[in-house]
Formats: sequence, C-alpha cells, structure tokens
Amino acid sequence: MTETMTSESADTVSSYGMIEFGSVNKFFGNFQALKDINLSVAEQEVVVVLGPSGSGKSTLIRCVNRLETHDSGRIVVDGVELTNDMRGIRHVRRNTGMVFQQFNLFPHLTVMDNITLGPRQVRRLPKAEAEDLAISLLERVHIPEQARKYPGQLSGGQQQRVAIARSLAMEPKVMLFDEPTSALDPEMIKEVLDVMKELATTGMTIVAVTHEMGFAREVAQRVVFMDEGEIVEINTPDEFFENPQEDRAKLFLSQIL
Amino acid sequence: MAVSAERLGPMSWLRVNLFNRWYNAVLTVLLAAVVAYLGYRAALYLFWTAEWDPVRANLTLFMIGTFPREEQWRVVTQILTLAAAFGILWGAMIGSARDRAAQSGVPFTTEPGWVALRRWWGLVILLLVLLLAAWGILPLILALGCMALTFSLRYITLRLPSGARICAWLSGYALLIASWQIVSGTGGNAWIWAAGLMAFAGVRTVRRKDLAPQLPLTFAAIAVCGAVVWVFYAVVLNGLIGFSGVGWDDWAGFHLNLIAATISIVAAFPLGLLLALGRRSNLPAIKWLCVTYIELIRGVPLIGLLFIANSLLGFFIDNDSLIGFFLETPLSQISRAIVIMSLFTAAYLAEVIRGGLEATPRGQTEAGQSVGLSPWQITSRIVMPQTLRASIPAIVGQFISLLKDSSLLSIIAVSEILRVRASVHSQGAFTTLGTAETLVFIAFAFWAFAFTWSRESQRLEKRLGVGDR
Repeated sequence: MTETMTSESADTVSSYGMIEFGSVNKFFGNFQALKDINLSVAEQEVVVVLGPSGSGKSTLIRCVNRLETHDSGRIVVDGVELTNDMRGIRHVRRNTGMVFQQFNLFPHLTVMDNITLGPRQVRRLPKAEAEDLAISLLERVHIPEQARKYPGQLSGGQQQRVAIARSLAMEPKVMLFDEPTSALDPEMIKEVLDVMKELATTGMTIVAVTHEMGFAREVAQRVVFMDEGEIVEINTPDEFFENPQEDRAKLFLSQIL
Repeated sequence: MAVSAERLGPMSWLRVNLFNRWYNAVLTVLLAAVVAYLGYRAALYLFWTAEWDPVRANLTLFMIGTFPREEQWRVVTQILTLAAAFGILWGAMIGSARDRAAQSGVPFTTEPGWVALRRWWGLVILLLVLLLAAWGILPLILALGCMALTFSLRYITLRLPSGARICAWLSGYALLIASWQIVSGTGGNAWIWAAGLMAFAGVRTVRRKDLAPQLPLTFAAIAVCGAVVWVFYAVVLNGLIGFSGVGWDDWAGFHLNLIAATISIVAAFPLGLLLALGRRSNLPAIKWLCVTYIELIRGVPLIGLLFIANSLLGFFIDNDSLIGFFLETPLSQISRAIVIMSLFTAAYLAEVIRGGLEATPRGQTEAGQSVGLSPWQITSRIVMPQTLRASIPAIVGQFISLLKDSSLLSIIAVSEILRVRASVHSQGAFTTLGTAETLVFIAFAFWAFAFTWSRESQRLEKRLGVGDR
C-alpha cells in the first residue's frame, strides 16, 4: 500500500490527486522537520496522520495551505503548485479549510460574523446570502442557536464546531484538521468527532492530524504514520492497527493502545 | 482577611481588618495619626494660609489668556456647542450599542446619566472650584446650561427610532466641526458641509440592510437634518457670526492647552497606526524608514523637538518651498508646536500599538490566512480591532501625557496656561504673592482632565471586554 512518488513533472503530479507532496524537505534552522516527504491524497479521500509529538505531523499539514513554507521539493494542491506566488497561495487557501487545535476563532466577532467574514470578504457574497449559509452550516454542526453569541461565551466543543463551520463556509475542496480535539475536555471530544465523521460521509477530502484512534479506524481510508520528520508507514487503518509493518509503528501503537 | 464589608458593622469591621493583631493596631494608629496630621496641614493651607488672590483675580486669564475679550462669547458658545454635540453623540452611541446587543441577543443595560457624573468627579470638583473662585452667576449658568444641554439631548437621542439615529450622528459631527469653527472662524460654504454630511449619512444608511423597513423615515430625517445643518451654517455661522473668527495666534490659556492637545491627538493617532504597521512591514525600505523615525523621535526630548521646530522649521517651510506653497506661511508658533506634538506622540503611539500587535496571537493571523483573507483584510478586520482593544490603557495614557506635555509649549513662547501664570506674576501686585498657589491651581486643572480621561478609559476597557475570551 505504500506509494512513493518518483516522477517530478507537474503534469504527472497534478493528475494524481487533490494533494501531492513530492520529495518535500523542511528545516527550522538546523532542525529538519520534514524529510523527503512523498504523499498523494486523492479526491474524497480521508487520510489520518499519526505519530509521536514532534514527528512533523503538524508541519506536514500546515505546508498544505502554506502556513509553513517548504524548503525543497514540490507541493501541489488542487492542481496549483505552492510557490511564493501569492495568487497561487490564495487560490489554495480559498479551497482548503483548516481547523486548529486552539480553535483560533476571532474573539471580537460574533459566531455569525466569524463564519460570514470569509464568504463576504473573499467570496464577495452579499450579507443576507452569507448569513443564510452560516445558519445552514451552524445547523450542520448542531448549534444554530449560538449564532449571535461571542466565542468566549461558548464551550470548547462548541467553539471548535464553529471553527469547522467557519472553514466550511468557504466551500472548500479539502479540509485540514490539526489536532482538532487535543485542547478539548473529554466530554466534548465526541461532539466534534461526530461532526467530522458526518463531514467524511459527504465525500469531503480530509487530512486530519489526530490522536483519536477510534476516529482513524472508523473513518480513515488510509493512515500515515510519521516519526522524526519521515513518513514511516502508509497503510489502511485495519492493517495498520492490527498488523503494523514497521518497528517504530509497533512501538508507537504499543505505547498508546 | 477576606471578610466582606457589608456583613459587618463599622466597629467590627475595624476590629477585623485594622485591629486584628497588636502590630496591626499600632500601624493603624500610627498611619491614622500621619493621615490626620497631613490632612490638617493641607486644610490649613488650602483654607487659611494660601493666597488665592492671584488665582481668583485672573481666572479668565488662566482659562483663555489674552483671547480678545470682545470675542469671549465665542469660547462660551464653543463650550455650549460641545456640550450639545457630546450629549447627542453619547445618546447615539448608547442607542447603537443597544441595537447591536438586541441583534446579538445579549442583555443590555443603560446606566442613567447621573451615574456618569459620579465618574467625572474630577471635572465636577474643578467646576466647583472655578465657581467658588469666580463667585459670579455667569459661570454657574454656563455650567448648568451645559449639563442641561448634554443630558436633555442624550435623553432625546436615546429615544429616537433606530432609523433616525443616523441624524443624531450627523448633527453630532456637524456640531463638533461647528464648535471648532465658531472660535477659529475657518469655515466654508454651508452647503458643502450640509451636502457632505448628508451624503455620508445616506451611504451609511443604504449599506445598513437592517434599516431597510425604516428607509423612508431615515431619508426624511436625513433631509431635515441636512436642512438644519445648512440653516445653522448659512444663517447662524455665516450670517450672524460672520465667520471672521479669532486666529490661532490669539488663542491662549488652558483653552489653548486643551485644543492643542486635542488636535495633536486626532492627528497623531492615524500616523501612529501607520508607523506601527510600517515597522512590521516586509518591505525593508518602509520598515527602516519607520524604525528610523520612531527611534529618532523617541530619542529626543520633547523640549528639544519644540526648540528645533521653533528655530529650524522655518528654514524648510518658507514661502518659496513646495510645502510653503500649500500651507499658509510662515507657520504660526502654535501650529508648529501642534505639528511637533503630533509627530512626537505618533512615535510613542506607534510603539504602544506595535506592542498590541505583537500580543495578538499568531493563530489569529493563521486563521485569517486559512480562510483566504488578504494580508490587508487580516490586519484591518482581525488583528487591528483586537490590538486597539488591548492597547486602550496605554493609548489613553499617552494622550494624558500629551495633555500634560502641552505645558511645555510655554518654553517656546506659546501663551498656554503656564506662560499665562508667568505673566500674572510679572505684574505689580502678584510678583511674589501666591506663586505657589497659582501652580497648585494649574496642577489641579490638569489633574481634573487627566483623571477623568483615565476613568473613562477604564470603563471603555471594561465595556469592550464584552465577548472577549
């Protein structure tokens, strides 16, 4: 099941899938955060990235919408290669939604304004249309009654669901989840995971960094296991959890399960 | 000892909080003795030994200096106009906040006006002192008139339907501008102001979708308001007052301190904002220009800058230069001083705002980026609002020190309140009499304003904290 990309031509790369990593390296000073990453995520695929902390999972996912810049190799998202060209970057960001560990809602705006800001400013939707969209998204994440509140008035789980709605409001092709449940109290994790599962069934392309093994088993089509900046193993969830191929993956699973 | 005061009688409160240990009892007694002694000396000074005659005899001089006495009514009218504008804008602000709260479903309570008076006790005491010293009926009438105007207009504005509120904003701003023009006389054609404000109001209204049902009311209100503004400018300002005005160079006294500080504040704020953003720019040229400016200005004392302005600025801005072509030249002493104070404050504000920018979590910017917002949209919609909220105390502090710094203008021969004092004591009767008392009075006048601003900023901070995480 492990795929390795060898071809470097743009045509070959973009024809593969929604997200393509080709020999990507990333350094923070002398520390190499990503080592020769090759990964392809197909449209409508759900991929869960696992690994111990500091293994480069977050860096990997943040490279997809260029919150981090990679130092070598190529990343192509939705047919657009990420370079310093702002237009390309904005195209990719417009078509990818991201959900953060710390929610990162805008505290000075109401839930409604948090969600409609992107559609109104970037997609230039009229206010009424954007608000209708926001209400329907809030219904989708099961909190339509919170529209006029401020983020500070909501629980962590509710805030994260608002953050998901905010990303969906841009009608993205890809959703990136960067440890969406790690900052939540245990009783709120389920409500966020449920929303994510529902999202997966709609055919959204999803890349999620998470420690929720249940979610990975249930929803993911593939599991990517990373350690020390490398992709160690790519496998189906069943295979990965029952019969991991690599020693480091076995060690990781033995520690968390 | 966290025992709440309400549950205890005064005697037991004393026992629990001040006399609970023998050493606390000793401390309490000692401190009480010190406080009583200081209070006694202060009272003795204030009410018996102090020579208030120079203050009392020159109150008008302290307030407006050598402002032409036959034009004194302009200042009085200005104060009344400001009071009216204040009342209207206050009411409009509360009304808008109430609308927003209703939309968000957040409970909203309005404090009665007199509660605000409690916060302003610095100013209230200043007023009382002035009344006491002046011992005349006219200042009292003026003070009461101002309060009546402010509170009645606040009351009326609060009860306007939200569709007509735009008129309140409109007339409030118009009155603010007018209050300036009544003194300075720098006016324009009445219809320009009226049309400009109406256009502004019209655009704002059309953009507010929630006002759509009230649109006819709103436009009628705007038209009426525009007509009133027009009449006010055409008949009252142009016709009756004649717009001759009193030039800047004749302004003086505490009136000048307040005006110079206010203008500098208004000018410094946008400049400081731009400098703060420029300092964080990715473009090296802009960044280093801003850094150089900020560090240069902050490295030089304000007095030094004022001297430079006084002696050197004339070399750059003369009638032949490009700047001189656009500006009225030569620049008056006061306008030079105001330019320098604005430039000075802008550099400090830039640092304050930069601190706020850096305190805004990086995740906010990332969230904006991930939604696809442009850098400018992220700055203006996400980072700046949070930054300004976080910097309110520091910004207000900067403004308070600007007001106090305006007393430095006396050094470059601008006749602000300290220079007025010098001239008071150069006259025959008061050469040695009451020199300390005039200083005490001036200090008190500054304190009254600085303290009130500081209290208002605390309240603003608390209010804007609504919905903060």
